[in-house]
Amino acid sequence: MQAVIMGQLRVISVLLDFILLSAMCAGRDVDSSYVTCGSLVKLMNTRHSVRLHSHDVKYGSGSGQQSVTGVDSADDANSYWRIRENPNGICQRGEPIRCNQAIRITHLKTGRNLHSHHFSSPLSNNQEVSAFGENGQGDDLDVWAVQCSGIFWERDDAVRFKHVGTEVFLSITGEQYGHPIRGQREVHGMSLPNHHNYWKVMEGVFIQPSNDPVQHDEL
Amino acid sequence: MAVKGMKLSSVCLLLLYLISTVLGGRDFYKILGVSKSASIKDIKKAYRKLALQLHPDRNQDDPHAQDKFADLGAAYEVLSDQEKRKQYDTYGEDGLKEGHHGSHGDIFSSFFGDFGFMFGGNRQTANRDIPRGNDIILDLEVTLEEVYSGNFVEVVRNKPVSKEAPGKRKCNCRQEMRTTQLGPGRFQMTQEVVCDECPNIKLVNEERTLEVEIEQGVRDDMEYPFIGEGEPHIDGEPGDLRFRIKVLKHPVFERRGDDLYTNVTISLVEALVGFQMEISHLDGHKVNIVRDKITKPGARLQKKGEGLPNFDNNNIRGSLIVTFDVDFPKEQLDDQQKDGISQLLKQASSQKVYNGLQGY
Repeated sequence: MQAVIMGQLRVISVLLDFILLSAMCAGRDVDSSYVTCGSLVKLMNTRHSVRLHSHDVKYGSGSGQQSVTGVDSADDANSYWRIRENPNGICQRGEPIRCNQAIRITHLKTGRNLHSHHFSSPLSNNQEVSAFGENGQGDDLDVWAVQCSGIFWERDDAVRFKHVGTEVFLSITGEQYGHPIRGQREVHGMSLPNHHNYWKVMEGVFIQPSNDPVQHDEL
Repeated sequence: MAVKGMKLSSVCLLLLYLISTVLGGRDFYKILGVSKSASIKDIKKAYRKLALQLHPDRNQDDPHAQDKFADLGAAYEVLSDQEKRKQYDTYGEDGLKEGHHGSHGDIFSSFFGDFGFMFGGNRQTANRDIPRGNDIILDLEVTLEEVYSGNFVEVVRNKPVSKEAPGKRKCNCRQEMRTTQLGPGRFQMTQEVVCDECPNIKLVNEERTLEVEIEQGVRDDMEYPFIGEGEPHIDGEPGDLRFRIKVLKHPVFERRGDDLYTNVTISLVEALVGFQMEISHLDGHKVNIVRDKITKPGARLQKKGEGLPNFDNNNIRGSLIVTFDVDFPKEQLDDQQKDGISQLLKQASSQKVYNGLQGY
Protein backbone atom coordinates (compact mmCIF):
# COMPACT_ATOMS: atom_id res chain seq x y z
CA MET A 1 0.00 0.00 0.00
CA GLN A 2 2.71 2.42 1.08
CA ALA A 3 4.89 1.47 -1.89
CA VAL A 4 2.07 2.28 -4.30
CA ILE A 5 1.53 5.71 -2.75
CA MET A 6 5.26 6.43 -2.82
CA GLY A 7 5.39 5.35 -6.44
CA GLN A 8 2.51 7.66 -7.34
CA LEU A 9 4.05 10.55 -5.43
CA ARG A 10 7.28 10.04 -7.28
CA VAL A 11 5.51 10.16 -10.63
CA ILE A 12 3.71 13.34 -9.61
CA SER A 13 6.91 15.01 -8.46
CA VAL A 14 8.67 14.12 -11.72
CA LEU A 15 5.74 15.51 -13.67
CA LEU A 16 5.78 18.70 -11.61
CA ASP A 17 9.52 19.09 -12.15
CA PHE A 18 9.02 18.64 -15.87
CA ILE A 19 6.27 21.23 -16.00
CA LEU A 20 8.32 23.66 -13.93
CA LEU A 21 11.38 23.17 -16.07
CA SER A 22 9.54 23.59 -19.34
CA ALA A 23 7.75 26.62 -17.96
CA MET A 24 11.08 28.17 -17.02
CA CYS A 25 12.54 27.32 -20.41
CA ALA A 26 9.47 28.61 -22.19
CA GLY A 27 9.69 31.73 -20.07
CA ARG A 28 13.22 32.41 -21.25
CA ASP A 29 12.54 31.91 -24.97
CA VAL A 30 9.34 33.91 -24.98
CA ASP A 31 10.97 37.00 -23.37
CA SER A 32 11.56 38.75 -26.68
CA SER A 33 7.98 38.25 -27.79
CA TYR A 34 6.54 40.66 -25.21
CA VAL A 35 5.83 44.33 -25.62
CA THR A 36 7.96 46.03 -22.99
CA CYS A 37 8.00 49.35 -21.21
CA GLY A 38 9.94 51.98 -23.13
CA SER A 39 9.54 50.23 -26.49
CA LEU A 40 8.81 52.13 -29.66
CA VAL A 41 6.00 50.61 -31.75
CA LYS A 42 3.72 51.11 -34.70
CA LEU A 43 0.15 50.02 -33.97
CA MET A 44 -1.96 48.59 -36.75
CA ASN A 45 -5.72 48.30 -36.64
CA THR A 46 -6.36 44.72 -37.67
CA ARG A 47 -9.75 45.34 -39.30
CA HIS A 48 -8.70 48.24 -41.54
CA SER A 49 -4.95 47.57 -41.88
CA VAL A 50 -3.92 51.14 -41.17
CA ARG A 51 -1.36 52.34 -38.63
CA LEU A 52 -2.02 54.73 -35.75
CA HIS A 53 -0.50 58.05 -36.75
CA SER A 54 -0.21 61.65 -35.66
CA HIS A 55 1.31 64.82 -37.08
CA ASP A 56 1.37 68.55 -36.59
CA VAL A 57 -2.17 69.02 -37.93
CA LYS A 58 -4.94 70.14 -35.59
CA TYR A 59 -8.60 69.15 -35.65
CA GLY A 60 -10.77 71.81 -37.29
CA SER A 61 -13.57 71.07 -34.84
CA GLY A 62 -14.07 69.49 -31.43
CA SER A 63 -11.16 70.29 -29.14
CA GLY A 64 -8.89 71.75 -31.82
CA GLN A 65 -6.04 69.63 -30.47
CA GLN A 66 -3.51 67.69 -32.53
CA SER A 67 -5.25 65.07 -34.67
CA VAL A 68 -4.70 61.31 -34.58
CA THR A 69 -5.43 59.27 -37.72
CA GLY A 70 -4.88 55.92 -39.40
CA VAL A 71 -2.52 55.76 -42.39
CA ASP A 72 -1.81 53.13 -45.04
CA SER A 73 1.95 53.55 -45.31
CA ALA A 74 4.33 51.33 -43.39
CA ASP A 75 7.39 53.56 -43.57
CA ASP A 76 6.29 56.82 -41.98
CA ALA A 77 8.26 57.79 -38.89
CA ASN A 78 5.21 59.74 -37.67
CA SER A 79 3.51 56.44 -36.92
CA TYR A 80 5.88 55.61 -34.08
CA TRP A 81 4.55 55.66 -30.53
CA ARG A 82 6.36 55.06 -27.26
CA ILE A 83 4.83 52.73 -24.66
CA ARG A 84 5.23 54.37 -21.25
CA GLU A 85 4.08 53.90 -17.68
CA ASN A 86 1.04 55.77 -16.39
CA PRO A 87 1.72 59.05 -14.60
CA ASN A 88 3.17 58.37 -11.12
CA GLY A 89 3.90 54.82 -12.16
CA ILE A 90 7.34 53.31 -12.42
CA CYS A 91 8.42 51.13 -15.24
CA GLN A 92 11.65 49.25 -15.46
CA ARG A 93 13.18 49.60 -18.90
CA GLY A 94 12.38 46.40 -20.77
CA GLU A 95 9.75 45.18 -18.32
CA PRO A 96 6.91 43.36 -20.16
CA ILE A 97 3.55 45.14 -20.05
CA ARG A 98 0.83 43.15 -18.26
CA CYS A 99 -2.68 42.70 -19.61
CA ASN A 100 -4.96 45.33 -18.02
CA GLN A 101 -1.98 47.49 -17.12
CA ALA A 102 -2.54 51.24 -17.41
CA ILE A 103 -0.10 52.88 -19.84
CA ARG A 104 0.46 56.05 -21.80
CA ILE A 105 1.07 55.96 -25.54
CA THR A 106 3.31 58.85 -26.52
CA HIS A 107 3.82 60.06 -30.09
CA LEU A 108 7.56 59.98 -30.79
CA LYS A 109 7.93 62.97 -33.10
CA THR A 110 5.69 65.47 -31.29
CA GLY A 111 5.98 64.24 -27.69
CA ARG A 112 2.20 64.31 -27.23
CA ASN A 113 0.19 61.54 -25.53
CA LEU A 114 -2.71 59.59 -27.04
CA HIS A 115 -5.67 61.26 -25.38
CA SER A 116 -9.46 61.21 -25.38
CA HIS A 117 -12.21 63.37 -23.90
CA HIS A 118 -15.87 64.29 -24.27
CA PHE A 119 -15.69 65.92 -27.68
CA SER A 120 -17.21 64.55 -30.87
CA SER A 121 -15.07 63.17 -33.63
CA PRO A 122 -15.37 65.16 -36.88
CA LEU A 123 -16.55 62.49 -39.33
CA SER A 124 -18.48 59.87 -37.39
CA ASN A 125 -19.63 61.69 -34.24
CA ASN A 126 -17.98 59.14 -32.01
CA GLN A 127 -15.63 60.33 -29.26
CA GLU A 128 -12.65 62.37 -30.39
CA VAL A 129 -9.15 60.93 -29.90
CA SER A 130 -6.33 63.48 -29.97
CA ALA A 131 -2.66 63.89 -29.11
CA PHE A 132 -2.18 66.05 -26.04
CA GLY A 133 0.52 67.38 -23.75
CA GLU A 134 4.14 68.53 -24.08
CA ASN A 135 7.27 66.40 -23.85
CA GLY A 136 5.25 63.40 -22.75
CA GLN A 137 3.52 65.27 -19.89
CA GLY A 138 -0.25 65.64 -20.25
CA ASP A 139 -3.02 64.78 -17.83
CA ASP A 140 -5.14 61.90 -16.49
CA LEU A 141 -7.01 61.52 -19.76
CA ASP A 142 -3.82 60.18 -21.36
CA VAL A 143 -4.17 56.81 -19.64
CA TRP A 144 -5.23 53.66 -21.52
CA ALA A 145 -5.57 50.07 -20.31
CA VAL A 146 -4.22 47.29 -22.53
CA GLN A 147 -6.84 44.57 -22.84
CA CYS A 148 -5.54 41.17 -23.78
CA SER A 149 -6.06 37.59 -22.73
CA GLY A 150 -3.16 36.09 -20.87
CA ILE A 151 -0.69 37.61 -18.44
CA PHE A 152 1.53 39.79 -20.60
CA TRP A 153 1.02 41.79 -23.78
CA GLU A 154 2.56 39.59 -26.45
CA ARG A 155 3.71 41.04 -29.74
CA ASP A 156 1.57 38.59 -31.70
CA ASP A 157 -1.59 39.50 -29.79
CA ALA A 158 -4.40 41.62 -31.16
CA VAL A 159 -5.27 43.83 -28.18
CA ARG A 160 -7.78 46.51 -27.31
CA PHE A 161 -7.01 49.86 -25.72
CA LYS A 162 -9.63 51.00 -23.25
CA HIS A 163 -9.55 54.66 -22.24
CA VAL A 164 -9.42 54.71 -18.44
CA GLY A 165 -11.05 58.13 -18.04
CA THR A 166 -14.08 57.69 -20.34
CA GLU A 167 -14.22 53.90 -20.83
CA VAL A 168 -14.23 53.96 -24.65
CA PHE A 169 -12.19 51.70 -26.91
CA LEU A 170 -9.67 53.04 -29.43
CA SER A 171 -11.31 52.30 -32.81
CA ILE A 172 -11.41 52.93 -36.53
CA THR A 173 -14.56 52.37 -38.56
CA GLY A 174 -13.23 53.46 -41.96
CA GLU A 175 -14.33 57.10 -42.47
CA GLN A 176 -11.73 58.95 -44.55
CA TYR A 177 -10.55 62.54 -44.40
CA GLY A 178 -10.20 64.82 -47.41
CA HIS A 179 -7.62 67.48 -48.04
CA PRO A 180 -5.02 68.07 -46.52
CA ILE A 181 -4.80 64.53 -45.09
CA ARG A 182 -6.57 62.76 -47.92
CA GLY A 183 -7.10 59.06 -47.43
CA GLN A 184 -6.23 59.02 -43.74
CA ARG A 185 -8.83 57.34 -41.56
CA GLU A 186 -10.56 58.79 -38.55
CA VAL A 187 -9.48 57.34 -35.19
CA HIS A 188 -12.06 57.67 -32.43
CA GLY A 189 -13.35 56.15 -29.20
CA MET A 190 -16.33 53.81 -29.18
CA SER A 191 -18.07 52.42 -26.11
CA LEU A 192 -18.77 48.94 -27.48
CA PRO A 193 -15.99 46.42 -27.92
CA ASN A 194 -16.13 44.91 -31.42
CA HIS A 195 -13.87 43.93 -34.30
CA HIS A 196 -13.07 47.57 -35.09
CA ASN A 197 -11.02 48.05 -31.96
CA TYR A 198 -8.33 45.40 -32.28
CA TRP A 199 -4.73 46.57 -32.66
CA LYS A 200 -1.45 44.77 -33.21
CA VAL A 201 2.14 45.99 -32.87
CA MET A 202 4.04 45.93 -36.13
CA GLU A 203 7.37 47.64 -36.76
CA GLY A 204 9.28 49.02 -33.84
CA VAL A 205 12.22 48.95 -31.48
CA PHE A 206 11.44 46.44 -28.76
CA ILE A 207 13.63 46.89 -25.69
CA GLN A 208 14.58 43.67 -23.91
CA PRO A 209 15.03 43.48 -20.16
CA SER A 210 18.64 44.06 -19.13
CA ASN A 211 20.77 42.26 -16.64
CA ASP A 212 21.79 44.04 -13.47
CA PRO A 213 25.06 45.72 -14.47
CA VAL A 214 26.84 44.30 -11.44
CA GLN A 215 25.64 40.74 -11.99
CA HIS A 216 28.33 38.11 -12.09
CA ASP A 217 27.49 35.41 -14.64
CA GLU A 218 27.47 31.88 -13.37
CA LEU A 219 29.20 29.54 -15.78
CA MET B 1 73.82 17.17 -15.73
CA ALA B 2 71.06 19.07 -14.06
CA VAL B 3 71.38 21.85 -16.60
CA LYS B 4 71.10 19.45 -19.52
CA GLY B 5 68.04 17.84 -17.93
CA MET B 6 66.43 21.19 -17.48
CA LYS B 7 67.14 22.22 -21.04
CA LEU B 8 65.59 19.06 -22.37
CA SER B 9 62.47 19.35 -20.25
CA SER B 10 61.99 22.98 -21.17
CA VAL B 11 62.37 22.14 -24.84
CA CYS B 12 59.81 19.36 -24.43
CA LEU B 13 57.49 21.73 -22.64
CA LEU B 14 57.91 24.29 -25.40
CA LEU B 15 57.16 21.68 -28.04
CA LEU B 16 54.07 20.49 -26.14
CA TYR B 17 52.85 24.06 -25.78
CA LEU B 18 53.33 24.75 -29.47
CA ILE B 19 51.58 21.54 -30.43
CA SER B 20 48.69 22.24 -28.11
CA THR B 21 48.20 25.74 -29.44
CA VAL B 22 48.27 24.51 -33.02
CA LEU B 23 45.94 21.59 -32.33
CA GLY B 24 43.75 23.46 -29.88
CA GLY B 25 42.94 26.21 -32.35
CA ARG B 26 42.76 29.93 -31.67
CA ASP B 27 42.80 31.43 -28.21
CA PHE B 28 39.50 33.31 -28.29
CA TYR B 29 40.01 34.85 -24.87
CA LYS B 30 43.31 36.33 -26.00
CA ILE B 31 41.80 37.61 -29.24
CA LEU B 32 39.15 39.50 -27.29
CA GLY B 33 41.59 40.48 -24.56
CA VAL B 34 39.43 39.18 -21.74
CA SER B 35 40.04 36.80 -18.86
CA LYS B 36 38.65 33.26 -18.78
CA SER B 37 36.10 34.35 -16.20
CA ALA B 38 34.89 37.37 -18.16
CA SER B 39 31.16 38.09 -17.97
CA ILE B 40 29.01 38.32 -21.08
CA LYS B 41 28.99 42.06 -20.59
CA ASP B 42 32.79 42.21 -20.61
CA ILE B 43 32.85 40.12 -23.79
CA LYS B 44 30.38 42.38 -25.58
CA LYS B 45 32.27 45.46 -24.48
CA ALA B 46 35.60 44.03 -25.67
CA TYR B 47 34.12 43.02 -29.03
CA ARG B 48 32.62 46.42 -29.63
CA LYS B 49 35.83 48.23 -28.86
CA LEU B 50 38.02 45.94 -30.97
CA ALA B 51 35.57 45.75 -33.88
CA LEU B 52 35.91 49.49 -34.37
CA GLN B 53 39.70 49.25 -34.24
CA LEU B 54 40.19 46.16 -36.38
CA HIS B 55 37.63 46.73 -39.15
CA PRO B 56 39.39 46.21 -42.51
CA ASP B 57 38.02 49.52 -43.85
CA ARG B 58 39.96 51.21 -41.09
CA ASN B 59 43.14 49.25 -41.66
CA GLN B 60 43.49 49.37 -45.42
CA ASP B 61 47.29 49.04 -45.35
CA ASP B 62 47.36 45.98 -43.11
CA PRO B 63 47.44 42.75 -45.16
CA HIS B 64 46.32 40.70 -42.16
CA ALA B 65 43.37 42.96 -41.33
CA GLN B 66 40.75 40.61 -42.83
CA ASP B 67 42.10 37.63 -40.88
CA LYS B 68 42.30 39.51 -37.60
CA PHE B 69 38.76 40.77 -38.10
CA ALA B 70 37.51 37.26 -38.94
CA ASP B 71 39.22 35.91 -35.80
CA LEU B 72 37.49 38.57 -33.74
CA GLY B 73 34.09 37.62 -35.16
CA ALA B 74 34.68 33.93 -34.51
CA ALA B 75 35.83 34.65 -30.95
CA TYR B 76 32.73 36.67 -30.20
CA GLU B 77 30.40 34.15 -31.78
CA VAL B 78 31.70 31.38 -29.52
CA LEU B 79 32.26 33.24 -26.26
CA SER B 80 28.95 35.10 -26.35
CA ASP B 81 26.97 31.85 -26.55
CA GLN B 82 26.77 29.95 -23.26
CA GLU B 83 26.68 26.50 -24.87
CA LYS B 84 29.46 27.14 -27.37
CA ARG B 85 31.63 28.73 -24.70
CA LYS B 86 31.31 25.66 -22.46
CA GLN B 87 32.30 23.40 -25.33
CA TYR B 88 35.23 25.63 -26.24
CA ASP B 89 36.47 25.78 -22.64
CA THR B 90 36.47 22.00 -22.44
CA TYR B 91 37.58 20.91 -25.90
CA GLY B 92 39.19 23.92 -27.55
CA GLU B 93 38.21 25.31 -30.93
CA ASP B 94 38.33 21.94 -32.65
CA GLY B 95 35.91 20.56 -30.09
CA LEU B 96 33.18 22.87 -31.28
CA LYS B 97 30.42 21.00 -33.04
CA GLU B 98 29.48 22.26 -36.47
CA GLY B 99 31.36 25.05 -38.15
CA HIS B 100 30.64 28.70 -37.55
CA HIS B 101 27.23 29.76 -38.65
CA GLY B 102 26.21 33.29 -39.37
CA SER B 103 28.50 35.73 -41.08
CA HIS B 104 30.58 38.16 -39.09
CA GLY B 105 28.59 40.82 -40.89
CA ASP B 106 25.51 39.94 -38.83
CA ILE B 107 27.40 40.22 -35.56
CA PHE B 108 28.93 43.54 -36.59
CA SER B 109 25.54 44.92 -37.67
CA SER B 110 23.95 44.12 -34.34
CA PHE B 111 26.44 46.50 -32.70
CA PHE B 112 26.62 49.20 -35.33
CA GLY B 113 23.72 48.89 -37.77
CA ASP B 114 23.40 47.97 -41.41
CA PHE B 115 25.91 50.30 -42.94
CA GLY B 116 28.17 50.29 -39.93
CA PHE B 117 31.27 50.42 -42.02
CA MET B 118 30.64 54.08 -42.68
CA PHE B 119 32.67 55.27 -39.76
CA GLY B 120 32.39 58.44 -37.82
CA GLY B 121 28.62 58.18 -37.63
CA ASN B 122 28.30 60.75 -40.40
CA ARG B 123 27.29 59.89 -43.89
CA GLN B 124 29.77 60.78 -46.60
CA THR B 125 28.90 64.05 -48.30
CA ALA B 126 28.69 62.28 -51.67
CA ASN B 127 25.50 60.63 -50.45
CA ARG B 128 23.65 63.92 -49.98
CA ASP B 129 21.98 63.46 -53.37
CA ILE B 130 20.45 60.12 -52.45
CA PRO B 131 17.14 60.58 -50.63
CA ARG B 132 17.16 59.23 -47.09
CA GLY B 133 14.42 57.76 -44.95
CA ASN B 134 13.56 59.33 -41.62
CA ASP B 135 15.90 59.08 -38.64
CA ILE B 136 14.50 57.72 -35.41
CA ILE B 137 15.80 59.22 -32.18
CA LEU B 138 14.85 57.19 -29.17
CA ASP B 139 15.52 58.19 -25.55
CA LEU B 140 17.17 55.42 -23.57
CA GLU B 141 16.80 55.79 -19.81
CA VAL B 142 19.80 54.54 -17.88
CA THR B 143 20.44 54.26 -14.16
CA LEU B 144 23.45 55.68 -12.38
CA GLU B 145 24.48 52.08 -11.59
CA GLU B 146 24.72 51.47 -15.33
CA VAL B 147 26.75 54.64 -15.84
CA TYR B 148 29.17 53.42 -13.17
CA SER B 149 29.59 49.80 -14.29
CA GLY B 150 28.50 49.93 -17.90
CA ASN B 151 25.84 47.67 -19.42
CA PHE B 152 24.37 46.39 -22.66
CA VAL B 153 20.77 46.80 -23.73
CA GLU B 154 19.40 44.29 -26.21
CA VAL B 155 16.81 45.62 -28.53
CA VAL B 156 14.81 43.86 -31.24
CA ARG B 157 14.42 46.06 -34.29
CA ASN B 158 11.54 45.17 -36.58
CA LYS B 159 11.61 47.36 -39.64
CA PRO B 160 10.37 47.44 -43.25
CA VAL B 161 13.09 46.56 -45.72
CA SER B 162 13.03 47.24 -49.44
CA LYS B 163 12.93 44.07 -51.49
CA GLU B 164 12.82 43.65 -55.23
CA ALA B 165 9.45 42.70 -56.62
CA PRO B 166 8.39 41.69 -60.13
CA GLY B 167 7.31 44.39 -62.52
CA LYS B 168 7.91 48.09 -62.61
CA ARG B 169 6.69 51.04 -60.63
CA LYS B 170 6.41 54.72 -61.19
CA CYS B 171 9.10 56.85 -59.57
CA ASN B 172 10.45 60.42 -59.68
CA CYS B 173 6.97 61.71 -60.47
CA ARG B 174 6.88 65.38 -61.32
CA GLN B 175 4.66 67.98 -62.88
CA GLU B 176 5.45 69.04 -66.41
CA MET B 177 3.86 71.51 -68.77
CA ARG B 178 2.56 70.00 -71.99
CA THR B 179 1.59 71.99 -74.99
CA THR B 180 -1.23 70.57 -77.12
CA GLN B 181 -2.41 72.04 -80.41
CA LEU B 182 -6.14 72.61 -80.52
CA GLY B 183 -6.21 74.00 -84.01
CA PRO B 184 -4.18 76.13 -86.43
CA GLY B 185 -2.41 78.73 -84.28
CA ARG B 186 -4.27 77.68 -81.13
CA PHE B 187 -2.33 76.01 -78.37
CA GLN B 188 -3.19 74.94 -74.89
CA MET B 189 -0.76 74.52 -71.97
CA THR B 190 -1.69 71.83 -69.52
CA GLN B 191 -0.01 70.42 -66.47
CA GLU B 192 0.69 66.75 -66.57
CA VAL B 193 2.18 64.35 -64.10
CA VAL B 194 5.11 62.54 -65.68
CA CYS B 195 6.85 59.58 -64.05
CA ASP B 196 9.90 57.48 -64.73
CA GLU B 197 9.92 53.72 -64.60
CA CYS B 198 11.88 52.05 -61.85
CA PRO B 199 12.29 48.47 -60.66
CA ASN B 200 9.41 47.53 -58.44
CA ILE B 201 10.03 47.50 -54.71
CA LYS B 202 7.94 46.07 -51.93
CA LEU B 203 8.43 46.54 -48.21
CA VAL B 204 8.94 43.41 -46.13
CA ASN B 205 9.27 43.45 -42.33
CA GLU B 206 12.54 42.05 -41.02
CA GLU B 207 13.83 41.65 -37.51
CA ARG B 208 17.26 41.77 -35.97
CA THR B 209 18.71 42.12 -32.48
CA LEU B 210 20.79 45.20 -31.76
CA GLU B 211 23.22 45.63 -28.88
CA VAL B 212 23.33 49.10 -27.43
CA GLU B 213 26.27 49.71 -25.13
CA ILE B 214 25.91 51.94 -22.10
CA GLU B 215 29.54 52.93 -21.76
CA GLN B 216 31.01 53.74 -18.38
CA GLY B 217 30.84 57.44 -17.63
CA VAL B 218 28.32 58.13 -20.42
CA ARG B 219 26.73 61.56 -20.18
CA ASP B 220 23.20 62.84 -20.72
CA ASP B 221 22.20 63.33 -24.37
CA MET B 222 25.10 61.35 -25.79
CA GLU B 223 23.91 59.37 -28.81
CA TYR B 224 24.60 55.87 -30.05
CA PRO B 225 23.77 55.64 -33.76
CA PHE B 226 22.88 52.49 -35.66
CA ILE B 227 23.40 53.35 -39.28
CA GLY B 228 20.62 52.27 -41.63
CA GLU B 229 18.28 51.07 -38.89
CA GLY B 230 15.85 53.98 -39.23
CA GLU B 231 12.93 54.24 -41.63
CA PRO B 232 13.41 53.05 -45.21
CA HIS B 233 13.07 55.29 -48.25
CA ILE B 234 11.61 53.67 -51.32
CA ASP B 235 13.80 55.69 -53.67
CA GLY B 236 16.93 55.81 -51.54
CA GLU B 237 18.67 54.82 -48.35
CA PRO B 238 17.24 54.07 -44.94
CA GLY B 239 17.69 56.62 -42.17
CA ASP B 240 19.46 55.92 -38.88
CA LEU B 241 18.27 54.78 -35.47
CA ARG B 242 19.88 56.79 -32.69
CA PHE B 243 19.64 56.05 -29.00
CA ARG B 244 19.92 59.17 -26.86
CA ILE B 245 21.06 58.53 -23.30
CA LYS B 246 18.96 59.96 -20.50
CA VAL B 247 20.42 59.40 -17.04
CA LEU B 248 17.73 58.87 -14.42
CA LYS B 249 17.76 60.58 -11.02
CA HIS B 250 19.17 58.40 -8.24
CA PRO B 251 17.75 58.23 -4.70
CA VAL B 252 21.18 58.34 -3.03
CA PHE B 253 23.71 59.91 -5.38
CA GLU B 254 23.68 63.15 -7.37
CA ARG B 255 25.96 63.41 -10.37
CA ARG B 256 27.99 66.49 -11.21
CA GLY B 257 30.35 65.71 -14.05
CA ASP B 258 32.43 62.80 -12.82
CA ASP B 259 31.80 63.58 -9.15
CA LEU B 260 29.07 62.07 -7.01
CA TYR B 261 27.36 63.94 -4.18
CA THR B 262 25.50 62.38 -1.30
CA ASN B 263 24.12 63.47 2.09
CA VAL B 264 24.27 61.72 5.42
CA THR B 265 22.28 62.65 8.54
CA ILE B 266 24.08 61.74 11.76
CA SER B 267 22.96 61.94 15.37
CA LEU B 268 24.02 64.76 17.69
CA VAL B 269 26.12 62.34 19.72
CA GLU B 270 27.93 61.09 16.62
CA ALA B 271 28.52 64.66 15.50
CA LEU B 272 30.22 65.47 18.82
CA VAL B 273 31.88 62.19 19.62
CA GLY B 274 32.80 60.72 16.23
CA PHE B 275 31.57 57.65 14.33
CA GLN B 276 32.36 55.05 11.72
CA MET B 277 30.08 54.17 8.82
CA GLU B 278 29.91 52.50 5.40
CA ILE B 279 28.25 53.82 2.27
CA SER B 280 27.11 51.24 -0.30
CA HIS B 281 28.36 52.37 -3.69
CA LEU B 282 26.69 51.92 -7.09
CA ASP B 283 28.28 48.54 -7.67
CA GLY B 284 27.78 47.34 -4.12
CA HIS B 285 31.29 47.94 -2.80
CA LYS B 286 31.51 49.72 0.55
CA VAL B 287 33.07 53.11 1.14
CA ASN B 288 34.40 53.40 4.68
CA ILE B 289 34.06 56.67 6.55
CA VAL B 290 35.68 57.26 9.94
CA ARG B 291 35.34 60.46 11.96
CA ASP B 292 37.02 60.96 15.31
CA LYS B 293 36.69 64.70 15.48
CA ILE B 294 33.61 66.89 15.86
CA THR B 295 31.50 66.98 12.66
CA LYS B 296 29.72 70.30 12.06
CA PRO B 297 26.39 70.40 10.22
CA GLY B 298 27.19 71.09 6.57
CA ALA B 299 30.66 69.60 6.85
CA ARG B 300 31.95 68.00 3.65
CA LEU B 301 34.18 65.02 3.22
CA GLN B 302 35.80 64.13 -0.10
CA LYS B 303 36.68 60.57 -1.05
CA LYS B 304 38.94 60.67 -4.08
CA GLY B 305 38.48 57.97 -6.69
CA GLU B 306 35.00 57.09 -5.48
CA GLY B 307 33.16 59.09 -8.12
CA LEU B 308 32.18 58.02 -11.64
CA PRO B 309 34.64 56.80 -14.24
CA ASN B 310 35.48 59.43 -16.81
CA PHE B 311 33.91 58.68 -20.21
CA ASP B 312 37.08 59.36 -22.20
CA ASN B 313 39.41 57.51 -19.83
CA ASN B 314 37.74 54.95 -17.60
CA ASN B 315 40.79 54.79 -15.37
CA ILE B 316 40.27 58.32 -14.16
CA ARG B 317 37.55 58.63 -11.55
CA GLY B 318 35.90 61.60 -9.95
CA SER B 319 35.36 61.98 -6.21
CA LEU B 320 32.54 61.17 -3.85
CA ILE B 321 31.61 64.22 -1.78
CA VAL B 322 29.64 63.50 1.40
CA THR B 323 27.82 66.35 3.14
CA PHE B 324 26.78 65.79 6.74
CA ASP B 325 23.82 67.23 8.54
CA VAL B 326 22.99 66.68 12.19
CA ASP B 327 19.76 65.39 13.65
CA PHE B 328 18.88 67.13 16.90
CA PRO B 329 17.07 65.15 19.60
CA LYS B 330 13.29 65.24 19.14
CA GLU B 331 12.27 64.82 22.73
CA GLN B 332 12.68 67.76 25.06
CA LEU B 333 15.32 67.39 27.79
CA ASP B 334 14.35 67.25 31.43
CA ASP B 335 16.03 69.50 34.03
CA GLN B 336 18.55 66.89 35.09
CA GLN B 337 19.70 66.36 31.50
CA LYS B 338 19.90 70.09 30.95
CA ASP B 339 22.15 70.47 33.99
CA GLY B 340 24.27 67.54 32.95
CA ILE B 341 24.85 68.94 29.47
CA SER B 342 25.70 72.41 30.77
CA GLN B 343 28.26 70.78 33.07
CA LEU B 344 29.77 68.62 30.32
CA LEU B 345 30.12 71.24 27.64
CA LYS B 346 31.27 74.02 29.98
CA GLN B 347 30.20 76.78 27.60
CA ALA B 348 29.50 80.31 28.80
CA SER B 349 26.18 81.80 27.77
CA SER B 350 26.75 83.50 24.42
CA GLN B 351 24.39 85.12 21.90
CA LYS B 352 25.79 86.79 18.81
CA VAL B 353 23.34 88.96 16.91
CA TYR B 354 24.10 89.60 13.25
CA ASN B 355 22.55 90.05 9.78
CA GLY B 356 22.45 86.58 8.26
CA LEU B 357 20.62 87.44 5.05
CA GLN B 358 22.93 90.20 3.71
CA GLY B 359 20.66 91.01 0.76
CA TYR B 360 19.57 87.49 -0.26
